Amino acid sequence: MPKCLVCYKWTLDEQDIKIRPEDLSLDSSRAKGKISDFDRNAIEEAALLVEKNGGAVDALSYGTATVKQSLKDALSRGPEKVFWVADASAENADAYVTANVLAAAIRKLGQYDMILCGEGSSDLFNQQTAQRLAALLGLPCLSFVQKLSVEGDVVKATRKLEDCQEDVTVKGPVVISVLSEINKPRIPTMRQVLGAAKKPNEEIKIADLGLKPEALEPKAVRKSVKGFVMQRKNVIYKESSAADNVAKLKASLASEGLC
Amino acid sequence: MNFELTEEQQLIGQSARDFAKEYLEPIAVELDHTGEFPKKVVAALAKHDFLGLLLPGTVGGAEAGFVSYVEVIENLSRYSAAVASIVNNHTIAAYAIQNWGTADQKKEYLPGMAKGDTLGGFAIFEHGPTPGVGPDALVATKHDVGYVLNGKKAFVRNAGEAGVYIVFATMDPAAGAKALTAFIVKADAVGVKVGEKLETMGLKGCPVADITFENVVLAETALLGAVNQGVAISAQALAVASVAEAAQTVGIGQAAVEHAAAYAKQRVQFGKPVAVLQAIQTLLAEVATDCHLARLGLQNAALLIEEGKPFEVEAAMIKSFLVRLGSKMLLDTCQVEGGFGYSETMPLPRLFRDIAGTNLLDAPGDFPEKLIAASIA
Repeated sequence: MPKCLVCYKWTLDEQDIKIRPEDLSLDSSRAKGKISDFDRNAIEEAALLVEKNGGAVDALSYGTATVKQSLKDALSRGPEKVFWVADASAENADAYVTANVLAAAIRKLGQYDMILCGEGSSDLFNQQTAQRLAALLGLPCLSFVQKLSVEGDVVKATRKLEDCQEDVTVKGPVVISVLSEINKPRIPTMRQVLGAAKKPNEEIKIADLGLKPEALEPKAVRKSVKGFVMQRKNVIYKESSAADNVAKLKASLASEGLC
Repeated sequence: MNFELTEEQQLIGQSARDFAKEYLEPIAVELDHTGEFPKKVVAALAKHDFLGLLLPGTVGGAEAGFVSYVEVIENLSRYSAAVASIVNNHTIAAYAIQNWGTADQKKEYLPGMAKGDTLGGFAIFEHGPTPGVGPDALVATKHDVGYVLNGKKAFVRNAGEAGVYIVFATMDPAAGAKALTAFIVKADAVGVKVGEKLETMGLKGCPVADITFENVVLAETALLGAVNQGVAISAQALAVASVAEAAQTVGIGQAAVEHAAAYAKQRVQFGKPVAVLQAIQTLLAEVATDCHLARLGLQNAALLIEEGKPFEVEAAMIKSFLVRLGSKMLLDTCQVEGGFGYSETMPLPRLFRDIAGTNLLDAPGDFPEKLIAASIA
């Protein structure tokens, strides 16, 4: 009966982010929050494993003050308790800082059999958190997991690699990052949504984690984020014959290395 | 004063939107073509607690409140107003039992309705000028062991699929609507005959038919509320339903304006997307504004219902507002999409028919302006 902890990130919903046409900067002033897409898969997989094998699921998140908005959403998806670390450092945190905070929080919480993460976050998609967490906690790491099961104290996973699949087993505590194809996250029922308010949540103060100030200094510093807008070239071929127009189009595509 | 939905209400709205994307978006066009009752979707709605949203936890309901309910109806309507209409007609039947039923009636019917095992229907309309009047009026006659129903109800939604109907019959043909009385009638009661399904303009998939009652014998326990209380029950139930129908209209309007805005950004004329043209911007802005104002109005009415306060005037105002503007929203968004918008390959014609169905078929007998005007003096 596995004791699982799912780490998730509260991100902005990219569908609500607009690109300002004048300088391609991002306008997220009206963007709502959401649990990062891959992390929903991680929560769902933990919930499914526990529904099948027994055990327990908790959740853990590190973010800015807005992370508190995520608690009921997370709890409506299966976890019995959610722990959260809210700190301004999360605003510019890279994978190094995120893993430092999560690892410190996990050490404080005690041992879990499985620590699950999404393969990458919806906003930065660094794909580093699980690996860094495993290194900091001294645990094995299984990444790119598309299938997961538990038999006794053995975890069986199928990893999707570039040109093959790898079946692996691990005994003992392990950090796992899952791909989106591993499952289809549930749509919480109304009673699950309303029941989330009755489940416990607990704040972990960052000051209580014993982290040195440099552990909260990002190694990778984001200087700017700009949107990408496809520009039309508005080229119109006006030759009298269709064959000539096609020839010109073909030459144009070839000059850009497209054919 | 706070205009923001609570976290739970937002999450319920999000769940409804996710549900609609997964279950309704793939079938909406086919449903509009075939008009077949979407049994699998209704089962999925029940599984997600959408059919017992307003009912108390003691009977298996989610007890989510009326503000959450209109959030759900709006989000379902963005993808299929027909399915939203099925939910709304079921819910209003359950609402009537919850509000006017005896303890035994609640125990008998509500758990099944919350679970989705029994779908509800609300049979109020008749072919005469008002219920209880005319040759086809449904008449209830007192009998030794209860009542006997004879006559016909018209335009009953969920007809043929519902397992239980809230049926309004006059106890005195001479008194007409004044003697209107509500009954709970099981669909399999002897003498209940569902007529041929009516081909409707919109909301296809939510079945509409007349129901004939031929010597339908009901026990005393079938009486809902008191004798002659039918007008009061139907008036309040329809007023509550009208707020949810306003959410249905807003959901359709929102879907239309979002589709038209996306189209306007892609459609290039004179070297630019048509979205940059002022005429197009005006059309889109007006529809978006109407949707926003209507949403605020209906949420206000929903909150009054949830808090047990008088809501009828606010409900009438939002109904009056949307009856005038609902169809205009669709005309304007069609205008944005031009000839393509008129084409059945685009969703706007379906949305247009659905908004007409919402505004026409669900209209109560009284016109809402009467109530509003009376409240001003």
